Amino acid sequence: MPITHTLSTQAAPQSGGSARAGRSHLEITLAVWKALFLREALGRLFSARASWFWLLAEPVFNVAYMLVIFSVIRVMHVGGIATLVWLMVGMLAFFMFKRTGTQVQNAISANQTLFTYRQVKPVDTLLVRAGLEGLLMIIVASILLVGAALFGYSVVPADPLAVLEAFFGLWLVGLGFGLVTSVLIELVPELGRVLKLVMMPLYILSGVIIPLSAVPQPYRDWLLLNPVAHGLEAARLGFAPYYHAVAELSVAYIYQFALVSIFLGLALHRRFAMRLVTK
Amino acid sequence: MIVVEDVHKRYQTDHGPGKWVLQGVSFTIPRNLSVGLIGANGAGKSTLLQIIGGVDHPNKGRVERHCRVSWPMGFGGGLQGSLTGRQNAKFVCRVHGHEDDIPERIAFIQGFAEIGEAFDQPVKTYSSGMKSRLQFGLSLAFDFDVYISDEVTSTGDAAFKSKASAAFKKLADHASMIMVSHSDGTLKQFCSAGIWIHDGKAHWFDQIDDALKAYKSTLPK
Repeated sequence: MPITHTLSTQAAPQSGGSARAGRSHLEITLAVWKALFLREALGRLFSARASWFWLLAEPVFNVAYMLVIFSVIRVMHVGGIATLVWLMVGMLAFFMFKRTGTQVQNAISANQTLFTYRQVKPVDTLLVRAGLEGLLMIIVASILLVGAALFGYSVVPADPLAVLEAFFGLWLVGLGFGLVTSVLIELVPELGRVLKLVMMPLYILSGVIIPLSAVPQPYRDWLLLNPVAHGLEAARLGFAPYYHAVAELSVAYIYQFALVSIFLGLALHRRFAMRLVTK
Repeated sequence: MIVVEDVHKRYQTDHGPGKWVLQGVSFTIPRNLSVGLIGANGAGKSTLLQIIGGVDHPNKGRVERHCRVSWPMGFGGGLQGSLTGRQNAKFVCRVHGHEDDIPERIAFIQGFAEIGEAFDQPVKTYSSGMKSRLQFGLSLAFDFDVYISDEVTSTGDAAFKSKASAAFKKLADHASMIMVSHSDGTLKQFCSAGIWIHDGKAHWFDQIDDALKAYKSTLPK
């Protein structure tokens, strides 16, 4: 696969040609984002029978069966907080990253037909998808937490801002991950399979179902290279300040990772803009 | 006016860069002149349309559009299969910045396409003729100076073709069309000038009949 071969990098010939003369670039972009957002929301919520139900059901079932397993082995508390809250917060935080990442990663192929309209650029579809997924995850998380509250669990975060900070960081990491991988997958399609294989153990390696503070050194440091692991611990710590989070927890690391990956992703999109729309 | 200057195009294949599809194509399409693109299958007609429409970019050379050019219609492109005709129409209105008068435009598109209740069914359930009707209606709902059509009329039935042609004649004083078609009748109905694409080069003919003649002279007897 000759990924090193480069297409001509001269600036795209551009002049006039918008449907309504006099629209500024910003106006066009905002109009495209709005149109894409509505189109993506329709697709995500209503494309198949009760698609919206499965958005909610996936984390619920994940939490439920892990909770059953933890109950069987009589683990009532993890790191000082109730198992259900520990699991649920970790799961929601993980889904915040994973769903955003995979949705963004697949945005280009899902919207291929819409590049017929030259106003729509590949990167638009990615950014809009990230926005939609973040919004949906906030709604899903709220519903799940309210549900847990109905069962008598205390789900009010002690430090709501810290929770938001962690979730927002994971969302950014998901966006950066998707931006980078979407381009790489276009260039080297085989990478798509590899990434799917990587995503599976990530569930365990990020500490969704095992407390990372129980992992001995030096392995813990290796696991903590993964920004998602930091995000999960930070979110749990935001819920309960007495939670025994890993000592090396660093929220700054999440944001640094996100910043670098988003920049890299945008740069890749700029560099390979033509390769993404032409087949 | 559309200026195409020394356009070269080749595609990436899995085994490196492919062969040149277009090699030094240059021509200027004046205002209000409808042009038909003629050539064998795989000659590069669709590629050229995509480049003129600004969806694809040449490896070398440039295209200047001094007017409002539509998106390239054809092969169900630009229609999202999971969305209904109406939802697709709304999407296109929004992208083109016509958020405020969506209902009127939708009414026009629905009236032109005449696909009945299918307008509220997912586009993936459409036949190719129904897609053509929708695509043509969509593009006519906006004021372009040049409409780009890639075989979009070829799958329509007789009623649709005459309707499209009539709608086009009405626009003729301020709009034109660049079209690809393999039907002589359609080309003569819509276009006055012709471009024959052969061996990566474009040959301009002021009369579409001459272009057709030139193309046919190369066909094996």
